[in-house]
Amino acid sequence: MATINLVDLKKNYGPVPAVKGINLSVADGELIVLVGPSGCGKSTLLRMVAGLESVTSGRIEIGGRDVVRAEPAERDIAMVFQNYALYPHMSVRQNLEYGLKNRGTPREEIDRRVREAADILEIGPMLDRKPRQLSGGQRQRVAMGRAIVREPAAFLFDEPLSNLDAKLRVQMRVEIRKLQRRLKTTSLYVTHDQLEAMTLADRLVVMNGGLVEQIGTPVEVYDRPATLFVAGFIGSPPMNLISVEGLASAGQSLPLPRGTDIVGIRPDELTLDAPAGAHVALPGTVELLEPIGGESHLHVMLGNGQTVILSVPGRPDIAEGAAVTVHAEHAQMHPFSKETGRRTDAVANP
Amino acid sequence: MVENRPFLSFLTHLVLIAGVLIVVFPVYLAFVASTHADGEFLSGLVPLLPGPNLVENYWHMLTVGISTAGAPPLWIMLTNSLIIAICIAVGKIIISLLSAYAIVFFKFPFRLLAFWIIFITLMLPVEVRIIPTFKVVADLGLLNSYVGLTLPLIASATATFLFRQFFLTIPDELMEAARVDGAGPLKFFRDILLPLSRTNIAALFVILFIYGWVQYLWPLLVTTDSRYYTVVMGIKRLAATADGEPQWHLVMAAVMLAMLPPVLVVIFMQRLFVKGLVETEK
Amino acid sequence: MQTKRTIFPNKLLPYLLLTPQLAVTLIFFIWPAAQAVKSSFEREDPFGFRTTFIWFENYTRLFSEATYLNSVGKTALFAISVTLLSMSLSLLLAVAVNRVLRTNRLYTTLLVWPYAVAPVVVGILWWFMFNPSIGIAPYLMRGLGIDWNHRIDGTDAMLLVIMAASWKQISYNFLFFVAGLQSVPQSLTEAAAIDGAGPFKRFWTIVFPLLSPTTFFLLIVNINYAMFDTFGIIDATTSGGPAQATNILVYKVYADGFLGLNIGSSAAQSVVLMLIVIALTAVQFRFVERRVQY
Repeated sequence: MATINLVDLKKNYGPVPAVKGINLSVADGELIVLVGPSGCGKSTLLRMVAGLESVTSGRIEIGGRDVVRAEPAERDIAMVFQNYALYPHMSVRQNLEYGLKNRGTPREEIDRRVREAADILEIGPMLDRKPRQLSGGQRQRVAMGRAIVREPAAFLFDEPLSNLDAKLRVQMRVEIRKLQRRLKTTSLYVTHDQLEAMTLADRLVVMNGGLVEQIGTPVEVYDRPATLFVAGFIGSPPMNLISVEGLASAGQSLPLPRGTDIVGIRPDELTLDAPAGAHVALPGTVELLEPIGGESHLHVMLGNGQTVILSVPGRPDIAEGAAVTVHAEHAQMHPFSKETGRRTDAVANP
Repeated sequence: MVENRPFLSFLTHLVLIAGVLIVVFPVYLAFVASTHADGEFLSGLVPLLPGPNLVENYWHMLTVGISTAGAPPLWIMLTNSLIIAICIAVGKIIISLLSAYAIVFFKFPFRLLAFWIIFITLMLPVEVRIIPTFKVVADLGLLNSYVGLTLPLIASATATFLFRQFFLTIPDELMEAARVDGAGPLKFFRDILLPLSRTNIAALFVILFIYGWVQYLWPLLVTTDSRYYTVVMGIKRLAATADGEPQWHLVMAAVMLAMLPPVLVVIFMQRLFVKGLVETEK
Repeated sequence: MQTKRTIFPNKLLPYLLLTPQLAVTLIFFIWPAAQAVKSSFEREDPFGFRTTFIWFENYTRLFSEATYLNSVGKTALFAISVTLLSMSLSLLLAVAVNRVLRTNRLYTTLLVWPYAVAPVVVGILWWFMFNPSIGIAPYLMRGLGIDWNHRIDGTDAMLLVIMAASWKQISYNFLFFVAGLQSVPQSLTEAAAIDGAGPFKRFWTIVFPLLSPTTFFLLIVNINYAMFDTFGIIDATTSGGPAQATNILVYKVYADGFLGLNIGSSAAQSVVLMLIVIALTAVQFRFVERRVQY
């Protein structure tokens, strides 16, 4: 059990900065998800914590100990890799035992831990098989098992679910969450999938271009995205970002903080019927109607040529090409400045 | 593809059978010759069917040899060939594994230089640098020794490249997982890399064993002591004398015995042989 | 040059790992090669007491020697003949094997083993078969009115070494052609069949062009083989004779250096051979690089 502290952590590849100064404190037992588009530095960051990537400057503390110069094996961490990285010539049992043997763990202790991990992950019957005889989901479990038996200070997950098919991914996501709650091991989890990030995380770290855009609980990040980037990245379908000029040209004026030139509105906060509170009304034309089961996505082109997406319940009886008016309550609008890319009503959210 | 052209199929088999005959005939002739008695060849024409003296001739060559040709019994030369072929194959594999490991899994100054030095060996076959190489071996006092017979032949760029190529296909994450699991470079090499290279090593062994077995020029140069003769060079000596005083049946028995081990290796390890051959030459 | 994403941090270990390979290479490859280059520019007096630096004299003398130029010509003839003969036979056999389904393993086994026969043994086999006094081939040819004697007749001798060297190389070429043929996508030949192309037309218009990387690769390898790996065949059949008729470059280096003990000339010949290998290797690697981009 341990905390992880990253202090002004930087990484350059030659002259190219990949991670531009990250500060993060992970509490004991917390599951932090690093999320962002590919190339945002999240994997590099994780690999620096693991000791697989050298650190250009800054500090990494695991359990209060500075580990920047320590070998991966000395950092008391365990890692779950994207392609599982199981040793193909070893049986499942040997895979689980390998790290413990290298540390000179006594035989009885190894046996006990392997048995426990096998119980937790329900891989007991597979212990004597080779990885190639296992399905993707089973390999994933073994990879987790290899991390669990180590009983490390922290788990590091590097996109562990991205090689699984969609259905299995949801199932394994739930399992990882339950497992982490049960073991209460501090965890860093990297993914590019915002849904995975939202459902797993105690706190999210949204990264872009080697920098942190926002740190917060999934609800905080969803409800109050700190930057335009976060607003566009978290949520599916993504938040509609409408220019203030577009609103003005539709004859709408509304109270916005100084410097606001873009407002963001979530698709499910846009409605076709006028709400009771103060709101804006934007005329437009329906371009496309996508029924996706319990709800439908309505693509509407506004007067200024911008397209917004509405999430509406059920299957509204609207033809493509029909003229509609889209409404949004003032209270549901997120004001942003295009220039700084930040919220203009921010109180003290980094 | 389903296609029924009886004539074409007939032609195909005809071509293949003709090919097999071309390939087999010279050896069949040698085999036939090796089963006849002394004097059968003086009549002017080699018989075309096997004779009764197979066991006798082979046994004679294995245990006695042809003393007039200055060649020891064949079993000594066969043993030498075996030792040398195995030493060359194992030696090449070991030094190539080590150097490929260094080149792929480490970054260090002069890495590129090392790679090029290894690469250059491709361009310097023994045949083109015979005399100076001979001189080096002579100066080191390695003439007439197993070391002299094998060591100069064990540098191998092709084996190094094969292993390098193979190592590059091993996922990065495997090595990372091993490091997280507390394996240092030597442990990783022993526990992960070597077991994963098993098939490649076996395939390469087949090719290199043959390479070592068929060496001729080098053993010819560095051995004058018949205790170190290999069977391939020994046979040439037998044949050279046989021209004056033909003991064809015995020479051909020796030829058959010299061919047998590597040919058996190819036939019984065909899959590994093909893999080794096709992959090293890529 | 490529390495792994993460690498081991050790400083000394990689050098230790490389030491055996580099030591062997430096002592038995680089150093002798450098010596050859050095002595190719020198003349040694008959007693070996003094060497004089004579620039390119060994080379100019070499290229004005009739026997050397003869050897160059013979080498070219030999290499080209072996390459063409062996490759065409192998291609024919490979195409045939690729057509048969059930028996192809058997045929392959019967065709590949000559790879394991030592060149010098190949030489002895063919020498025996064509031996003018007891060989079966001259006997049969006498029946056809041909008088074969490679001990006297230079053309016969050249033919003999070409046949022997080609025979040895059939298995190698065969395996590579089979591998090449198997990598030609079957959908292409099927498409051509649907387009109405018969088997022969299909081969020449679809399969053979797609096989060109293999063919080119084998071309280089075979030239290399014929020039450098046939020492044993020559030594066992003709020893370069009669009258220099089969004295190819690699045999001449040996004969001049070891039997004739003309160090300067032999060194110059070695250097010329090295340049040829370097050129062949460079062509091969340029080509391999290009092939990777396909």
